[in-house]
Amino acid sequence: MFSHHPAAARFSRPAAVTGLALVALLLTGCSAGTAKPTASESAASGTITVTHARGEAEVPAEAKRVVVLEPVALDTAVALGVMPVGTAVLNEAVGVPAYLGAKAHDIASVGTVTEPNLEKIAALAPDLIIGTESRHSALYDQLASVAPTVFLASQADPWKSNVELVGEALGRADEADALLADYDARCAEVQSEFDVDGETAQLVRPRDGLLTVYGPESFAGSTLECVGFTTPPRDWQNSISVDLSPEKVLEARADLVVVTTTDVDDASTMPEAITANASSFPNVHLVDQSHWITGVGPLGGLAVLDDIESILSDAR
Amino acid sequence: MSAVDGNAGATATTSGPAAGRSRSARRFTLLVAGSGILIALLIVLSLAVGANLLPLGVVLDTLAGRGTEETRFILFDQRVPRTAVALAVGAGLGGAGALIQAVTRNPLADPGILGVNAGAAAAVAGVIVFFGVTDVTQYVWFAYAGALVVTVAVFALGSAGPRGADPLTLTFAGLALGAVLSGVTTGLTIINPDAFERLLGWSAGSLLGRGFDSLVPVLLPLLAGIVLAAAITPALNALALGDDTAAAQGVSVARTRVLSVLAITLLAGTATAIAGPISFVGLMVPHVVRWIVGVDQRRIVVGSIVAGPVLVLLSDIVGRVVALPAEMPVGIVTAFVGAPILVVLVRRRRRVIGL
Repeated sequence: MFSHHPAAARFSRPAAVTGLALVALLLTGCSAGTAKPTASESAASGTITVTHARGEAEVPAEAKRVVVLEPVALDTAVALGVMPVGTAVLNEAVGVPAYLGAKAHDIASVGTVTEPNLEKIAALAPDLIIGTESRHSALYDQLASVAPTVFLASQADPWKSNVELVGEALGRADEADALLADYDARCAEVQSEFDVDGETAQLVRPRDGLLTVYGPESFAGSTLECVGFTTPPRDWQNSISVDLSPEKVLEARADLVVVTTTDVDDASTMPEAITANASSFPNVHLVDQSHWITGVGPLGGLAVLDDIESILSDAR
Repeated sequence: MSAVDGNAGATATTSGPAAGRSRSARRFTLLVAGSGILIALLIVLSLAVGANLLPLGVVLDTLAGRGTEETRFILFDQRVPRTAVALAVGAGLGGAGALIQAVTRNPLADPGILGVNAGAAAAVAGVIVFFGVTDVTQYVWFAYAGALVVTVAVFALGSAGPRGADPLTLTFAGLALGAVLSGVTTGLTIINPDAFERLLGWSAGSLLGRGFDSLVPVLLPLLAGIVLAAAITPALNALALGDDTAAAQGVSVARTRVLSVLAITLLAGTATAIAGPISFVGLMVPHVVRWIVGVDQRRIVVGSIVAGPVLVLLSDIVGRVVALPAEMPVGIVTAFVGAPILVVLVRRRRRVIGL
C-alpha cells in the first residue's frame, strides 16, 4: 500500500535494531551466567524439530516460557493453555485484546507487533519465540540467539495453517487440530441454526476515508463463509482485502454488511458513505475490530461466530 | 487585485527598464486570467470525474436535483465539498509558500520551515493518543492550534537573538523546533500503532471525507490570511533589497516579518488543518509564478494564491482515478507531479532571477 512508504522512511530501523541487538546479546550473556535452570531442564527433557519459514528449528518438546510476536500465535497459545510469558501487541495503549480473557491480560508486553523490543524479549529468558517472516525477517538472527525461534511465513497466509504450525511448535499439534475442529463444529452449529445459504455477507473496515472490504481468504471473511454466507464476488487482486473509494461504496452491498469499529455502541462510527446510502444498506451492523480484524486464531474465531450468531438471532 | 496590477511600475524595487515592467505586468495579467480559466475548467472536471465513473448525463441530472441516493451522495457529499476544499487548500499553500520564500529570502523555503506541519502533526498525534479522537474533521482545530502555537514559538525563538528575526535565525529555529516535535510525534505513534496508522493517513495529505463542515469554520481565517498577504506585499518588495535598505525606505522590518508570519500561519495553517500536510505546492507554485511574472512580490504572492488551487485541484482529480477502486491521497500526487518539476526548476535555476 502506497501510504505506508513514508513510515518506512521515517524510522531509522537499522540503527535502532543494531543497538537493541547489542543490548540483547549482552543480556543473554548475563542470563546464561546467572543460570536459568527451567530452560536447560526442559531442553534436557528432549527437543522436537519444527520445519518453519526459516528452515528447521530445534525447540523444547514442551516449551514453558514462550514469547509470541504475532496475534495468531498469541490466540493459539492461549487457546492451547500455554500462557505466553510475553507477547507483542498491536496497540500498547490497549495491550492484550480483551476477548482473550483476564488471564491473558497479565501477559507481559514486548513491544508492538511491527516493532518488537529485543531487550524486553531477552529479559524474559524465553525458551521459544514465535514470530513472522513477513514482519520480523530482519530480527531472526537476533531472536534465534535469545531462544529457539520459529517463524510463520506471513500473517496473510490462511490462518488455519498458521494455527497448525503454532501448535506444532508448542508440541501440541493434536490439540491445535482439535481447536480447529471445535471452530468448524461451531461454524456448522451456527449454519444449521440459521439457514443463510445463498445470502451474501461483506465485512467492511473504514480506514483513512477509504473503505477496506475483506474477501473470503481473510480471517473474518472466511468465518462469515463458514456459516454459509458467500462474499459478493469481485477481483480480490490476490489479496485478503481491497480498498474502495467511498464513491464506490455500493460495491460493498450485501444481504448482511458488518462494519468494524473500536466502539460498537457509538453509532457515529458508521461511515458517512453507508449512512448516506441507507436504502442500499438495509442490514448493516457495527462489530468490534479487536476480534473481527485482530483476533486471528481459534478463540477470536469463536468470538466472531458468537457475534454472527447474535446478529442473526436479533434479526429473527 | 486592481491595486496590484494597476501601477506595477511605480514600485521601488529592482525592476528593470520600463519595457520589462510592462511585459511583466502583461504576463501577470495572463497568469491570473489563465489560472481563472483553468480553475473554472477544473471545477467542471472535478464534478464530472471520480472513482465512480458516472456518465455525464447522470452527473447533470443529479446536479439538476434528480438522481439517486447514490449519485446525490457522490456529487453533494463527495465531489462538491472536496472541490471547494481543494480550492481553499491550494490558495492557502500557494500564498503561504510565496510569503515564506520572500520573508526568508530562500527560494527553496516551504511553509513547513516555520514548523506549521510539525506543529499540526504533533497536535493531531496528541489528540489521537490522549483523547481518542478518530474523526479527521475533528482534527481541524487541534491541527490549527498546533500550527499556530509552534509558529509563534519559532518566531519567538528566532527573534531572541541580537539580530532580531532575520531569515537565517528563523529558518534554524523552525528546523530545530520541527525536529523536536517530529520526535515527539514519532514517540507518540510508536507507543500507539493505531495513532500511527491514523496519523499516516492524515500526514499523506488527503481531501477524502473533507466536507464543508471542515471548511466553513476556517474560511474566515483563510480570507484574513489572503487579505493580509496582499496588504504586506509592497513592504516585502522593500525587504527583498535587504533589511537596511528597507529600513531606509521607511519600512518597518520587524513589523513586516511579524505580519508575514501571521499571514503564513493563517494560510498554511488552514490548508494543513483541513487536508494534512500537502508537500511541494507551497514550494513549487511560487517558483513557477516567479518564473512567469518576475521579481515583484505583489505579483508573486497574488499570482501564487490564484495558481495554487490549479495544482491542488488537478492533483486531487488525478488521485481519484489512478488507484481504482481506491484513491491516491492528493499529497502523494502533488509529490509525484512536484518532484519532476522541481528538477526542471533546479536546472533552470540560473534563469530564475534572485529574490
